[in-house]
Amino acid sequence: MPKNAIVVKDVTKNFKLYYDKPSTLKERLVFWNKKKADVHTVLKEVSLDIKKGETVALIGINGSGKSTLLKLMTKIIYPTEGKITTNGKLTSLLELGAGFHPDFTGRENIYFNAAIFGLTKQEIDKRLEDIIEFSELGEFIDSPVRTYSSGMYMRLAFSVAINVDAEILLIDEILAVGDAHFQEKCFSKLEELKNSNKTIVIVSHSLQSVKKLCTRFVWIHEGKIKMDGNEKVIDEYMKVCG
Amino acid sequence: MLKELYNYRELLKTNVKKEIRGKYKGSFLGILWSFISPLLMTLVYAIVFPFILKSTEPHYVTFIIIGVLPWTWFTNMMANGTTIILSNAGVIKKVYFPREILPISVVTSGMINFLISCLIIGIFLICSGIGFSPYILLLPVVVIIQFLFSLGIVFITSAIDIYIRDLEYIIAFLVNILFYATPILYSPEMFAGTPIATLIKLNPMGTIINSYRDIFFYKQMPDIISLVVLIGGCLGFCIIGYFLFKKLSKGFAEEV
Repeated sequence: MPKNAIVVKDVTKNFKLYYDKPSTLKERLVFWNKKKADVHTVLKEVSLDIKKGETVALIGINGSGKSTLLKLMTKIIYPTEGKITTNGKLTSLLELGAGFHPDFTGRENIYFNAAIFGLTKQEIDKRLEDIIEFSELGEFIDSPVRTYSSGMYMRLAFSVAINVDAEILLIDEILAVGDAHFQEKCFSKLEELKNSNKTIVIVSHSLQSVKKLCTRFVWIHEGKIKMDGNEKVIDEYMKVCG
Repeated sequence: MLKELYNYRELLKTNVKKEIRGKYKGSFLGILWSFISPLLMTLVYAIVFPFILKSTEPHYVTFIIIGVLPWTWFTNMMANGTTIILSNAGVIKKVYFPREILPISVVTSGMINFLISCLIIGIFLICSGIGFSPYILLLPVVVIIQFLFSLGIVFITSAIDIYIRDLEYIIAFLVNILFYATPILYSPEMFAGTPIATLIKLNPMGTIINSYRDIFFYKQMPDIISLVVLIGGCLGFCIIGYFLFKKLSKGFAEEV
């Protein structure tokens, strides 16, 4: 069994910066020679090994490249140079409620949403009760999602995402869902996943909550890893940026 | 590739369901609209075209509905399929899943719609007294050809549309031209012996619609050689489209 869940090796990611992106054919033909765009390097030769069962927080100021790193891990975008390998079923909670259709009921949308995460019908059937119970939606589960309040919507979406049962969970700043009671519940669910030897990577600005949850902290600054280690990273980060 | 598609089969299923049922949710007649629209078009053609063409086929309404229904499937694919990646930008940016699921589910839902609308063809065949022949068993073959042909185009156009947004308007225009270049309202026999007949032969949609006519309307064997050539050609086209799509799909999340 491989020990590393995620291996990031010498990854560089460039984004093209267009001041006015030519997206129509006319613009492409007219500005044929002006196509040169500025290149913005978000990540510079980053290498990072995340072991199975680790709970890692990526911290850093806005624009430091932590969300880009997370997106690279999920294979939504691809690195310009370098390689990323992952071992095990991976779920990314970058956005809640992906694939929800407003006119269908909550129950039907559980199927849509879970299917995007790659679950089969039997797997969803097995989790359906857990998901509905966790969302605390009760009888509303059979109403169309467009009638939901934003809190109900988020609760349903989070319940699906958290019950997908992946081996690697990538989470981007979504710990703030619902009221205090529901947040508490999400938090203890994450604790439970952590204790059942899942690999979790969280991007967050709420340092207090990640400090409680995570065991390893990676500080990313201007596209490079500035510090990597235990809670002391947070203290250092607070000194500089807090 | 096939393994990953198999793993995501539930997504394919729910997407098809969303396409078919979600589209008309909230409208009064619901899914019936996907049959009413082509029927109304047929009605218009059936009233107008006998005036323009000097002589029309006997059972002209049945004749054109057999052309109009597959054509509706095709135009819907060109319109919805080309923009399918663009219209799912939100999901593409935020979640990983095999992107080819989107084109495949659009074309599959179009196919299911068409298969249901074959009931309408059946009703017309009975009412006009034409009836059925054993050649109807060849229907799946023709449907598969049209499926592969549409899927190949949608793979290519949906991926390129992300980089060049003009494509959807170009496609809309080309589809309009192709409508007249395809024997939907007329029979290709009208042009027998002229270069136009050869042009129609080169148009895959022409051969596809002629085959539907053969098995439903004329109750005869479709041209087997063209069908075999077409099935091979469309399969190859679909595979080329898939690889192009796969190559371009890596940039989708950044470009949409």
